[in-house]
Amino acid sequence: MANLRDVYIIGVGQTSCGKFPTQAAHMLGREATWAAIKDSGIHARDIEIGFCGHVYQGMGVGQRTLKDIGLVGQPVINVEGACGSGTLSFWEAWRTIAYGQHDVALAWGVENLSKIMSGGPLPLEEDDIEVALGMSMPGLYAMRAKKYLDEYGVSPETLAKVVVKSRKHAAKNPIAQFRKETTVEQVLNDPLIADPLTRSMCCPVGDASAAAVLVDGETLKKIKRDTSRMPIKVLGCVAQSGGYASATGLTCDPSENVKRTSEMAYEQAGLGPKDMDAVEIHDAFAIAELIVAEALGFAKKGEGARLIEEETSNYDGDIAINASGGLLSRGHPVGATGLLQTVEIVNQLRGEATGYQVPDAKIGLIETMGGAQPAMDGITCVVSILGK
Amino acid sequence: MSDNNERRVLHAEFFTEDPEPRLIAGKSKSSGNWTFPPYLADPVSFLDDVEHTQLPRNGVLHSFTIVRRSLPDFTVPFGLGLIDFPDQKVRVMAQVEADDLENDLELGMEVETIVGVVRKAKDGSDIYSYKFRPVK
Repeated sequence: MANLRDVYIIGVGQTSCGKFPTQAAHMLGREATWAAIKDSGIHARDIEIGFCGHVYQGMGVGQRTLKDIGLVGQPVINVEGACGSGTLSFWEAWRTIAYGQHDVALAWGVENLSKIMSGGPLPLEEDDIEVALGMSMPGLYAMRAKKYLDEYGVSPETLAKVVVKSRKHAAKNPIAQFRKETTVEQVLNDPLIADPLTRSMCCPVGDASAAAVLVDGETLKKIKRDTSRMPIKVLGCVAQSGGYASATGLTCDPSENVKRTSEMAYEQAGLGPKDMDAVEIHDAFAIAELIVAEALGFAKKGEGARLIEEETSNYDGDIAINASGGLLSRGHPVGATGLLQTVEIVNQLRGEATGYQVPDAKIGLIETMGGAQPAMDGITCVVSILGK
Repeated sequence: MSDNNERRVLHAEFFTEDPEPRLIAGKSKSSGNWTFPPYLADPVSFLDDVEHTQLPRNGVLHSFTIVRRSLPDFTVPFGLGLIDFPDQKVRVMAQVEADDLENDLELGMEVETIVGVVRKAKDGSDIYSYKFRPVK
């Protein structure tokens, strides 16, 4: 891809993750977007376009958000890509700047799930034939877990250790939904949701918003910023929809999509897995951390468990995976998740993750994986690579 | 469904019960590629030469889980599986029935297509569709 402009994140903002049933989505959204604009140091009226990722928040949630911070008139595009909605909105903001259509864009994600459900699996699309027959996201990941444990001789204890690590990280993250540490025994003794996944091996229902302000390199030099906050460069950003599984020989596995998308992002950035310092991956279920870490190239196929067993994916390990606590513990407010991950990596690269700072973090990666479709390897995968 | 007009059926267009339960897949005349369910155009040939063709009755259980918490309208626990038809390179997700869910299902076992209750309607009546169970 020739002639792409450099793109920088100059401001980020986020709310806490938790259950806020009295906070409408746009109220969470206005908090995060306003925080991002203030962090960027630019004037709100410099924002030329907005992209709002969400799944369940209804008509015009993006416009409803910006109305409350004085931003009206400019185009706002509401973006839906299942659990990848937040990073898909980020990708939209990145590409409109990279391709020279706009100079300053705002990307945010927002979700209030607790207004529509108290717990249990996410409501999925009933027109999907598998959903109509009982497919749920925990059920789908449970089948992957069952196969993975059998194929590679991994025990449920390893899945429990993913949760233990996740809670340990989240305990230091002030915005995380679950900040209490746990043990392997507690995780394994939790009620089964879908064998072998227990309740704490599944991400919680929760609400949040997160946002980022993006500009091109030339604008960064000349725009008036009332701050010296460190800009973070977008080194790679790739979105891919799911591919056919049946036409590629029975894969039916989202890791194929993650692998494909991340290889394109690595190529765009001119970097590889070994260059990554801090990584936020889409661990909606404990098994995903193992499978996705392999797909991203941090472990060979079937060896993702070693990262957990040898504790090399702790925040201060060789490859820090989900220092924030990830979806399992920071939370998974669907459409907000991708931006929460992005804000986390920006904080890590700025050296501001007090108490869980990845040592000397220079390059970070964000992976978001949305949804499931019959005979496809997912709905949307987005991988971004950021550097300071 | 010709045998019982009262029975509520989901995805009736994707399976047959005559003479035995089988799924109806799509097969491209030019590429020979199979999909389930049938697509409008084939993903290999990119032609709309898709014939509706029955899959074999028996498949292989690639993986499964016992779902213990689900959305409303589903009676838990129930078995959910990924069933492979290796010769056609088709993988199907469907409910899997067993006399003893905890002990009767195994990875790689042969399962057969059946028709049974998959969920409840809002009025509490049973809804039928295709499912699988271990070959006895």
